[in-house]
Amino acid sequence: MANSSALDRTFAACSHPIRRGIVERLTTGELSVGDATRDFGVSKPAISKHLKVLEEAGVIARVIDGRTHRLRIRERPLRDADEWLTRQRELWERKLDVVEQYLREQRESAPRNSKPRKEQA
Amino acid sequence: MSATDSTTLRLERTFDAPAEDVFDAWTNPEVLRRWWGPGPTWRTPVAEVDLRVGGRYRLSMEDPDVGTSLTVTGEYREVRRPERLVYSWSWEEDGHAGHESTVTVEFVERDERTIVLLEHSGLESQESRERHEQGWAACLELFAARVFAEAPQLS
Repeated sequence: MANSSALDRTFAACSHPIRRGIVERLTTGELSVGDATRDFGVSKPAISKHLKVLEEAGVIARVIDGRTHRLRIRERPLRDADEWLTRQRELWERKLDVVEQYLREQRESAPRNSKPRKEQA
Repeated sequence: MSATDSTTLRLERTFDAPAEDVFDAWTNPEVLRRWWGPGPTWRTPVAEVDLRVGGRYRLSMEDPDVGTSLTVTGEYREVRRPERLVYSWSWEEDGHAGHESTVTVEFVERDERTIVLLEHSGLESQESRERHEQGWAACLELFAARVFAEAPQLS
């Protein structure tokens, strides 16, 4: 299970329009740094900063191929964020299952037409 | 759907038992231990329950192989047996309770059956969503739409 600070980093990484733009471009596949970051209308240092945030959050990875730096999406952190609520729901589904199972066991060991069962601790 | 709806989980299930029995099972430490100990690799889980308003509960399990533990803790806010139970919910991290959310459980008895309405509200992703201006949601949407559709299934 992903911890919440890792999720926070993912969410933060995607919170800026330029970073979202970069991620969006990379969803089509691996790109050079130039192709992934061109035409955002901000300075190179600003782009570098955004890339650093995305890399540190583990949202994207840099593949160095000789002189070319290419970027690609790392699936894991985004997938974790997406699945967070699903997992929470599954946790409750399991609780409902366990309660159901427990009640069934209680009923089988003490049918309704018999004397009231012993009080639980 | 509003932003609030999207981070409130709602579940419903009908049990073939009176509300008292369902309520008692819900808060029974044995049931909580079974719930919280999902596999044989996890060390016997701990379930502490002080079922009264202001009383606390704590559920903890540990995986000795990996050394990770999963602990959730909270306080009972409303204890109205057998119809309603409200408690706070926090994942414990490094011994400290993290972000607090709220669990509300209603037990509605009808013809010897009981409908359980469970609501888990104020989930952490809500906070993150607000803090980060909903950006991540857009990020996930485009990612889900374009990548997951083509990605091979991960086991």
